[in-house]
Amino acid sequence: MTDKANPAQQIGRRKFLQTTAAGAGTLALGSLFGPLPAQAKNPELNMWWWGEQELPGLQAYINESVAKYTAATVKPMLQETAVVISQFQTAAAAGTPPDLQYLWNGIYHMESVWLGYLKPLNGLMSEDTLRASNPTILSNYGGNTYRAGWYPLPMVWYYNKDMFDKAGLNADTPPTTWPELLDACEKLKIAGFEPLGGGVQDGYWAEWYMSHAFVQSLDTVGEAVELFIGDKDFNDPRYHECWVRLEELRKLGYLNKDMPSLELYPGIDLVVAGKLGIGQSVGSRLPADSKATNGRIGSMVMPVFGKGKLAGKPIVDMQGLGISEKSANPEAAAAFLEYLNTPERLEAFYKATGWLPSSSRFNSDLIQDASVKNMWKAWGQSPNITNVTSLMPGQFYEQAAIPTGQQVVQGKLTGEQAGELAARVAKEWREFNPDLVEKYQKWVIDLSK
Amino acid sequence: MSITNPFKQVVLITASIIAMLPSAFMVMTALKSQDEYTFDKVGLTDALVLTHFKAVLFDSPFFLWMLNSAILAIGAVVVGTLVSCCGAYAIARMQFRGRDTIFAISTSLMAVPPVVLIVPLFVVYSQLGLISTFSGAIIIYAGLITPFSVYLLTTFFRTMPQELFDAAFVDGVKHHQILRHIVLPLSIPALVTLLVVNALFVWNDLLIAVIFLQDDGKRTLMAGISVFQGRYNNQIPLSMAGMVVASAPMIILYISFQRYFIRGLMAGAIK
Amino acid sequence: MTSSNKLTPYIYLAPMLALLAFVFGFSFIRVFEFSFKMVRGIDGPWIGLRNYQLVLSQPLFWESVKHNLLLLLAIPAMVGIALLLSLLLYDRLRGWKIYRTILFFPYILAIPIIAVVMKQMFQFSGPVNEVLRWLSLDFMTLDWIGSTDVALWTVMLLIIWRESALGVILFLSRLLSLDEALIEAARLDGANWWQRAWYVLIPQMRSVIEFYVVISVITMLSAVFAYVYMMGGGRGGPGTSTMVTELYIYNALTRTSLPGVASAVAVMLFVVSLMLTYVLFVVRRRADEEEA
Repeated sequence: MTDKANPAQQIGRRKFLQTTAAGAGTLALGSLFGPLPAQAKNPELNMWWWGEQELPGLQAYINESVAKYTAATVKPMLQETAVVISQFQTAAAAGTPPDLQYLWNGIYHMESVWLGYLKPLNGLMSEDTLRASNPTILSNYGGNTYRAGWYPLPMVWYYNKDMFDKAGLNADTPPTTWPELLDACEKLKIAGFEPLGGGVQDGYWAEWYMSHAFVQSLDTVGEAVELFIGDKDFNDPRYHECWVRLEELRKLGYLNKDMPSLELYPGIDLVVAGKLGIGQSVGSRLPADSKATNGRIGSMVMPVFGKGKLAGKPIVDMQGLGISEKSANPEAAAAFLEYLNTPERLEAFYKATGWLPSSSRFNSDLIQDASVKNMWKAWGQSPNITNVTSLMPGQFYEQAAIPTGQQVVQGKLTGEQAGELAARVAKEWREFNPDLVEKYQKWVIDLSK
Repeated sequence: MSITNPFKQVVLITASIIAMLPSAFMVMTALKSQDEYTFDKVGLTDALVLTHFKAVLFDSPFFLWMLNSAILAIGAVVVGTLVSCCGAYAIARMQFRGRDTIFAISTSLMAVPPVVLIVPLFVVYSQLGLISTFSGAIIIYAGLITPFSVYLLTTFFRTMPQELFDAAFVDGVKHHQILRHIVLPLSIPALVTLLVVNALFVWNDLLIAVIFLQDDGKRTLMAGISVFQGRYNNQIPLSMAGMVVASAPMIILYISFQRYFIRGLMAGAIK
Repeated sequence: MTSSNKLTPYIYLAPMLALLAFVFGFSFIRVFEFSFKMVRGIDGPWIGLRNYQLVLSQPLFWESVKHNLLLLLAIPAMVGIALLLSLLLYDRLRGWKIYRTILFFPYILAIPIIAVVMKQMFQFSGPVNEVLRWLSLDFMTLDWIGSTDVALWTVMLLIIWRESALGVILFLSRLLSLDEALIEAARLDGANWWQRAWYVLIPQMRSVIEFYVVISVITMLSAVFAYVYMMGGGRGGPGTSTMVTELYIYNALTRTSLPGVASAVAVMLFVVSLMLTYVLFVVRRRADEEEA
């Protein structure tokens, strides 16, 4: 069928062979769009990462770092949100993982640890660097640390200072207790504003709500794990109080009317635009939002209703980088991570993205915006806890964490019913994933410290 | 002229307005500034703002995405059509054991929902390193369009008069020459329909695209739209400008080649 | 007959058989196999019917199925609209070709594009509600996208809007192929437009209507992924109100790392669509016979 005399056909087949031989699927016709492979005897490191989506400028920083780094040739590849983890796992299972992998906090990388896909970093990186980068407690398992922190995501509650002023509230002392919050909302409502909320259509607001509110009922992060493995129950009022409180906010008419159909980021924009008094946000937005409003956006910790030891503490989630168990060059990979943690690179990170790297070696005097500096002082440079939703099993996240918030906001579920849904899904998770239950049971030990 | 004529016109006009309304909104919004849209979501724009289009055309990956979709469409159509022509020719004009069974099985594959295939294909592709490769995706698309193509071509080839072939065989002409010089030229109408159906199927597909082409650089237009919308969900006019640009190729083709388009889409739905 | 080589047919068939064997044959075998295993990554231990048990006792699965079935309610609306419009176009009044071009337009735009546009139009503070308020129809300003009670119907609205266009063209092309004599005779007999449509035209369209219904059923059950993925934020939201079977499979594969479960659902979906395919073929054979 093929006409051997036709040269064009021969070239076509050669290209096909080239792509299949490449193995990890990173080449193919699309090699136009990635960095060209180097001829050097340098070790080659594949780096699969994420983050340009939430930190524009990160790609430029990576390209610059890769270009400047001479001890190895690093080939970065930006992943899509939906598959940054699943693609790593399937590649690792097939024996062809990247050397360096971007890792969201908690279960998103702990699963890979349990599957044996990640190498412990203690021993590969210096203790100092590793600790300074603050990978958070969720990166620990069996006494080892599996990630280096890269950049933090302080989780803050925004409030609009101008609106506070107009409502007769003190913009410099935002509410810290639940009754104070209700009072502030009432005053905002009387002043004609929509007090609190955002956009929950794409689900993330509901996740963040759990990060702030659910954690208030816990003494340790390990207690959350106990709820999943079945040692404790979501039907216990203590553990679904967060949703009861959300229901309260809705019943009092404090949530914005278009919250169910609006998405997360447009929802945060409402606070910045002066249309919504209080909302959930992420610290990495603060530089831009502060600039746009001349410093009139404030950050606060979520007002306290819960009686757990973790209530009222600032929350810092962390994005990190790890090294594959099957990496051909783990020392070279670790060296690159050390390089990224040098003060010069940390400064370059700040300059390229306008955001802070996580390492405490970063000179925070470089931060120009006062609001950001203050926020970082209160969040990153003070005792903080991490994002508890990061340790949730994927099934629970998809089928409970998000639908509960969405449906309580909309009025479809009461707080108690949300607790029932969470309990049911936790049970289903245990039935579908007995192998993971075992691992979580071991993880509780590291997380209850 | 019957008395109900005005009523009929009213119904048709109403239906036409409803049919065009989303597109009208899309275009109008794309021409508004961000602030103007926040104020006035419904009305016509006061000033034609073209900055969004500039951003989409020059600063966004839309053209890359369209190129990727085109590569897939062309690749899949070429592979699928070649494979189907040969297979259909054999089924339609040759005798061999199992001929009818093979045709029946191939035809019944037309109605398999692609979602049934994604799990095993995803797993094996991960093992073979074919995720986010054009060749991998082209194989899948070509496979998906083959049953329908074989069905259509077989039906068509069967309508050709036997005398045509008898004469050729008497002259000692080989099969592949018959195929190339007699059958295919006569099949141009069917091939054109097939081309339209199959190219549209690949171009419009979302499911295979989001699962098998995850790299930024290989993303197709449809998957890109989902990403674009998510990234700029707080800049509505910009999103709409993106949608206008994304729909431009189809609209242009539709208006120019209406007849083939309609015939092709209908045939495609029959799959 | 033909060439001397007995192998020739098989040579011509080989590429097609190889391609189909890989894409379909291999996949069928593996998806069936995976449905009996607890797959993590690329393989896993055999667990028999456990995946099926788990899925069939999970409320979320049945909710997905329910939503697919609810979408079937779109079909009467689609058929009705398509019939009405195609019959009106068949009158071939002045400018009918322009109307035809316009009325087919919804089907030209790709689903992701139109879903993004609709999602904005139907925002709670969006243009559709604004217009409704302006017309003093406040009671109709629902939370089209954000309410778990309404969201699925909004998706259905989108599906009806788009798929009716296909019906219009299918029906119209059937009408245009009909013998005019019967219509003329009816007109001479004094039948009005409605009577002509009901007693003469529609009966002759029975097979194409059946055909349209069956392919629409297949669509509602197994081809609405794009609609739901774009409108529901990729996870069947709000809540789980727009979760459908295809999305369930997609999520199980990509978001909750459960390919075995995804396979079990895929197998069940496949069996159902096989049954529907059979119905489709019966209908189609009748249509072919009718036209002959």
